[in-house]
Amino acid sequence: MDDTAPSQDLLLFLASTAHDMKNSISVLSGTLERLLADAGPREDVVYTAAYPQMAQMLYQTRRLNDNLMQLLALYKRVGTPEYPFDVQPIETAQLLAQVVALGQVLLAAKGIVLEVDAAPDLIWHLDEDLIVGVVSHAVNNAAHYTRDRIRLSLREHDGLLEIAVEDNGAGYPQALLDAGAAGLSGAVSGIDFRTNSAGLGLYFSREVARMHRHRGREGSVRLANGGALGGGCFIVSLP
Amino acid sequence: MSAVLPAKAEPIDWAGKNYLVVDDFIGVRQLLRESLRSLGARNIDQAASGGEAMGLLAKIRYDVVLCDFNLGDGKNGQQVLEEARVRNLLLPSSVWMMVSAEKSVESVMGAAEHQPDAYLVKPITEGVLLTRLNRAWHRKQVFRPIDQAYAEKDYLRAARLCDEQIEASRVHEIELLRMKARLMEKSGEPEKAREAYERVLAQREYQWARAGLAKIRLANGEFEQARQMFQGVIAENRYYIDAYDQLALAWQGMGKLEEACSILERAAKLSPNSVPRQRNLGQVCLKLGNVGMAEKAFRKCIAVGEYSVRRTPDAYLGLARVCGLKNEPKEALAWLQAALREFGEPSGELYPDIDLRAKITEGLVYHESGDYRRARKAGDELEALLGARAERPDTATCLEMATLLFAVGVKEAPSELLCYLIRNNHDNALLLDEVQAIFDKARLTEEGGDLIRSSKKEAADLMNQGVLLWKTGKLKEAVDWMREARARLPNNQRILFNAAQVLVSHMRERGHDEALALEAHEVLAHVDRLQPGQQRFAQLMEQLAELAPKPEAPAPAVDTAA
Repeated sequence: MDDTAPSQDLLLFLASTAHDMKNSISVLSGTLERLLADAGPREDVVYTAAYPQMAQMLYQTRRLNDNLMQLLALYKRVGTPEYPFDVQPIETAQLLAQVVALGQVLLAAKGIVLEVDAAPDLIWHLDEDLIVGVVSHAVNNAAHYTRDRIRLSLREHDGLLEIAVEDNGAGYPQALLDAGAAGLSGAVSGIDFRTNSAGLGLYFSREVARMHRHRGREGSVRLANGGALGGGCFIVSLP
Repeated sequence: MSAVLPAKAEPIDWAGKNYLVVDDFIGVRQLLRESLRSLGARNIDQAASGGEAMGLLAKIRYDVVLCDFNLGDGKNGQQVLEEARVRNLLLPSSVWMMVSAEKSVESVMGAAEHQPDAYLVKPITEGVLLTRLNRAWHRKQVFRPIDQAYAEKDYLRAARLCDEQIEASRVHEIELLRMKARLMEKSGEPEKAREAYERVLAQREYQWARAGLAKIRLANGEFEQARQMFQGVIAENRYYIDAYDQLALAWQGMGKLEEACSILERAAKLSPNSVPRQRNLGQVCLKLGNVGMAEKAFRKCIAVGEYSVRRTPDAYLGLARVCGLKNEPKEALAWLQAALREFGEPSGELYPDIDLRAKITEGLVYHESGDYRRARKAGDELEALLGARAERPDTATCLEMATLLFAVGVKEAPSELLCYLIRNNHDNALLLDEVQAIFDKARLTEEGGDLIRSSKKEAADLMNQGVLLWKTGKLKEAVDWMREARARLPNNQRILFNAAQVLVSHMRERGHDEALALEAHEVLAHVDRLQPGQQRFAQLMEQLAELAPKPEAPAPAVDTAA
C-alpha cells in the first residue's frame, strides 16, 4: 500500500459519514418519488406550482446522489478493497430495466418521453452497480438538456456492448466534445460537463468504462452530437 | 428432480411473502417498507439491530430478508447472516439481500463462506429492488435442486444437476461452473474441477477461476506451481485478497515461514477484518518467534471475531503462548481461563477438546519458561483429563499432547495416545514418520518402533478379515465384523470407508434396509468430518442415494413459489 494512503481510522470515519449521507439521500429521493408518483400527472387534477418544483427537487437530489457516489468511487479508487470492482454475467435487458425504473418518475414528471431500443437476450460481463450508475447519470443529465425526448439504446457491435443515451436538445458544447475526443488526457479541471460540476460525471464514467477489460481491450466513453434524435449523444462501450 | 427449469419463469407473487427489514436507521426502514408495500407486500417485520434481527429470525421463517451490512454496535449484517445460516434459521428458499453503502470486500474478493443471495448498494430504489428480488428468486429456483443435493452431501448428483442447468440457463453458466468446480473438489475429482475452471476462463478472465486452478495445485502438494499462479493472480489484481491467503499456504507448504508471514502481513493490511487471516498470521508469527507481531494479530483476531459465529479459541491459546514467551505466565493463565470461559460449557459441543488444548498450552507455557515442576503438574492433570473420557481429540491435538507429555516426563499416556493414532491411521506413512520422530525425541526409538508395528498390524488384521468376508460373499458377517472393527477403531478412515462399502453391497444384493442405510450415512458423515473432500466419500454417497427407494410415481412437483 502507498505510505500516503489515509489512515484506517480516517477511512472508517469517512465511510460511516458517507453511509449516513447515503441514507439521508435515499430517504429524500424515495420520498420525493413517492410524492411525485402520487401527485399525478392526472387529467382531473389542476397542477399547482409545487409539482414542477418537486420534479426539480428530485432532479437535484439525484445529482447530489450521483456526485456523492462518483466522489466516493474516485476517492476510494474503484477496484481497491474499499471499493471492489465486481464483474458478473448480467442480462442486459435487466440492466436497462433498472435504468428505466430509476428514471421514470423524474422523466414522467418533466413530461419527457423515453424510448428504449435494446437488442434482446444479450448477456454481458460487467459491474452492474457501476454501469447502472453511469447510464442513469447520463439519463439524468439528458433529462435536464433535452427538449422532450430521450432514447436509450443497447446493442452489440464489433465485440463491444454499446449503450447510448441520446436526446433532442441542443447538444454538447464544442469544448466538451473536444475534451472528450482528447480522452481528457488526464486533465479534469476546466471541463464543464454541461453543468458546473467540473466534468466529474464524465471523468467517473470514463474510469468505470476503462476498468472493464477483456482480451486486451478496454471500455470507453464517447460524446457526440446528432445521433438518432439530433441532440447530445453519450455512448459507453464495454468489451 | 432433474426437471430443468425454463429460463423465463412466471412473475412472482411478492404480496404473500414474509419480509424482514433490518437497518439501524429508521428512515431507511420506512423507505424499504414503503417500497415493499408498493410490491404488494403485507407481512413486513422490522429490526433495528443485529440482536433484534436474530430474535425475530429465531421465531419466524422469512421468505425475504433485507439486511443492512452496517448495523452500528454489535453484530454486522454479515455476522447476522452467518449466524442465521449456521443456526438453520433460514428456509432453503429464503432470499437474503445484503444492503450496504458499498460492497464488502470479503464478499467480492474473498471467499466468504456465507454469501447473501444478492447485494444492494444504497440508495435503493423500487425498480432496482424489484429487478434484484426477481433475479435472486429465479436464481434460487435454478440452484434449489443443486443446493438440496449439496446439503445431502451427494456431490456427484449435485454436479450432474449443474451440467443440466448450464444447458438451460445461460446467464447462470459461470456461476454453475463455479459451483461444479467446488463440488468436484469436494468429491476428490480435481481434474474435473480443473475442467470447469478452464471453461470459465475460456469466456472471461475471472480471478476466482484462475485462483481455483492454483488451489488445485496447492491441494496436490505442487507448492511451487501454486505459488507462481497465485502471484500471477496478485500481479493482475493486487487487491484479490484470497490469493494472498492461499499464497501464504503455498509458502508454508514449502517450509518458507518468513515468506508466508510477510504475505499474510500484507493481506492483513489490505483487509484486516478477517478472523481466519489474523489467526493464521498469529500462528505463523508464533512459529517464527516474532512475539510482538503474533500478539498484535491474535488481539485483532479476537476483536474482529467478537460478534462472529466464526470465532475460535485459537487466538486465546495463541495469546497464552505469547505471554509465556514474554515470561508472563500469570497473563498466560488468564487467557487460558478466558478460552475456557468463552468456548467451554455451555457452547462446549463445538469445542469438546478445549479443556485439553488449554491444559496442553499451560504445560507448554511452563515448560518453555523453565518451570518444570508446574509443567509436570499440568502434564499429570492432562493425563487425568484423558483418563476421564473415552473420546480422543483430533490428530494434531493428539500429537501436541503426546509431545508435551513426553517432555514433562509422563511415559505411559503419550505412548497410548500415539498407538491410538497409529491404529486409526495405519496406512498414513507421513503420520507414522511423525510418530516415530516423537518416540525418537523421547529416547524411545526401539520401544516406539515396536508399538507402531503392532498397532499397525492390529488395524490391518481387522480390516483384512472384513474384506475377506465381503469378498467371499458373507455379507451379513462382513457387516457385523466391520461394525465391531469400527467400535474398536472409530477414526480409521480405511475401516470406515470399507464399513460403508460393505453396507452398500449388502443392500445392493439383499435389498434396501432403512437401518443399514442410516448406519452407512452416519459412517460416511463421520469420515467426512475427519477428512473432507475424499473421492471414495463422494462415490459412496452417490451409490447410497441411488439405492434409496424412489417415492412411488411422484406427483409433478408443484412449485409453490410461482
